Amino acid sequence: MQIYKILKKSNLDSLVSILSKKQKFMAPVSKGLNKFAFESVTSSKDIALKYIPTILAPKKYFMPQYETLIEYDTKEGQNMKAVVEYENMVLFAVHTCDLAGIQCLNIVFSDRPKDLNYLVRKNKITIIGLECNEVCDEYSTCAFMDNDLPNGGYDLFFTDLGEYFIVHVNTQMGDAIINDTKLFEDATVSHINELEKLREKKRKLFINQFGIDRQKIPELFDKSKESQIWDDIGNRCLSCGNCTNVCPTCYCFDVMDVQNLDLKTGKRIRVWDSCQNETFAKVSGGESFREARSDRKRHRFYRKFKYPVNRYSRFFCTGCGRCTRTCMAKISLLETLELLIKENKVK
Amino acid sequence: MKRPKIAFFDFACCEGCQLQVANIGEALLDILDIADVVEFREVMSEKWDQSFDIAVVEGSITDHHAIERIKMIRSRSKLLIAYGSCATIGGINGMKNNFELDEIRKEVYGKDYKYFDTIKTMPVHHVVKVDYFVNGCPIYPPEFITVLKAALSGIPYDVPDKSVCIECKFNENICMYEKGLTCMGPITRAGCNSWCINNGNICYGCRGMVSNPNEKSAKDILEKYKIDLNLILNRINMYNKCRELEDNEQKRY
Repeated sequence: MQIYKILKKSNLDSLVSILSKKQKFMAPVSKGLNKFAFESVTSSKDIALKYIPTILAPKKYFMPQYETLIEYDTKEGQNMKAVVEYENMVLFAVHTCDLAGIQCLNIVFSDRPKDLNYLVRKNKITIIGLECNEVCDEYSTCAFMDNDLPNGGYDLFFTDLGEYFIVHVNTQMGDAIINDTKLFEDATVSHINELEKLREKKRKLFINQFGIDRQKIPELFDKSKESQIWDDIGNRCLSCGNCTNVCPTCYCFDVMDVQNLDLKTGKRIRVWDSCQNETFAKVSGGESFREARSDRKRHRFYRKFKYPVNRYSRFFCTGCGRCTRTCMAKISLLETLELLIKENKVK
Repeated sequence: MKRPKIAFFDFACCEGCQLQVANIGEALLDILDIADVVEFREVMSEKWDQSFDIAVVEGSITDHHAIERIKMIRSRSKLLIAYGSCATIGGINGMKNNFELDEIRKEVYGKDYKYFDTIKTMPVHHVVKVDYFVNGCPIYPPEFITVLKAALSGIPYDVPDKSVCIECKFNENICMYEKGLTCMGPITRAGCNSWCINNGNICYGCRGMVSNPNEKSAKDILEKYKIDLNLILNRINMYNKCRELEDNEQKRY
């Protein structure tokens, strides 16, 4: 049976206050210019409940930009100690697109060989989702990717229904928050009817812009390897790496050693890397497997719409629209897909 | 191993990178724990007339006297680190290469200009072999320390060949292009932790361009901001004029 609770809006600040005393409490905060970022907050005043996808996805908490994997000491022999950096954290108001992004990362890092650093850290993070009542802007394709409605991947899920939030309780971690804070009430049938009404309304607002079924995409990409479209966007691309850094499902990283000034001790870290970087596919001798920008651009799209479908039966585009919003060369995911569909006459 | 000897030298520059090193603070004491600084004009009076392990060189090569002097320094040192934009990419001094040399000399020295020798501005590696580069105007101190550690332990250091945007996004800054400003970040080498943008300024490209910049697209983007093409080229050339020498007359060591 599904468990729903109610949180009065007037109780939101108490919730933030109680939870932020126990552990870090991260929520979307306005940075001006309609830009938002997940940051640590202690009061509901600082939270932007109406926000479009943050500059960086919440992936930054699951796999930080810089992360220590090992500490080493070579004073006597070669001593190494594995390190897992984590902290208890509540992630509040995560939209459904980003919940989907976290689910993708979970799949990748649970695949063999399991990534313990990621998996340990993930278990310390409580996720509270927040429903989008409206489409954020013209760049999102969440309805097409089936991420406009909640699909699990959270402990609690909030939907704003005016005076109150209706809250879906999904896990024991979520249940513990309900019991510990004593701020929630039971939901009645009328509350659940209100939720149904909102979802009904959303079906008209969140529409598939492409006129094809999502399941046609792998077929589309099968036909598009040699498309001129990759050259066109490759010519415009600056290889700045913005698209992959802001992507909620890009997880590639580089590993390097950072020594301390004693030159004997230090740490091994991993840092976000990007397939758009010139050096990403460069190997010893100076050869690069993806020297042309068009190849690198194509690779990014195939990593979202083709390869993960083959391997994990899941699209790795969540439809959040971040890559389009952040691109100064105005390379648009939506436009690119539209062009590919048109070129291949997929219906 | 014997304590390595480090000596600092400067050529045509503002000596601001030396100031950055002098201001490093506590980490400087850790450096002095493992190495001896034997010459460093900005912080000490002593000079050193023998050989050393690492020469740290600031500034561009702009006359024949400088060529002789840098060759002498190179011959006395096991390793050479070029640091700062002037030494690594020619930097601001490269703007001189926009003009005829005589025109420049007349402007600066007046009627007796013929007594003052000058040549096209060159980064240090156009004259002698450089083992390590610390780009930037001024240098980003944490990168300088990273390079020094690499030099002291005999491992290579590659100046990052990815854009400033990479680190700027790590820092979750609002993009300057979304603020309606233009920024050299997308075609400039990372390694500075997007220092300027973190502090509200645009990127001027002081670390030099990435190895394969998409200049055409960068110009197209800047043109959309209705900026005059000359201004765009000036912006790109402000630090990067000397890159023209790479393919032309100069031999790269």
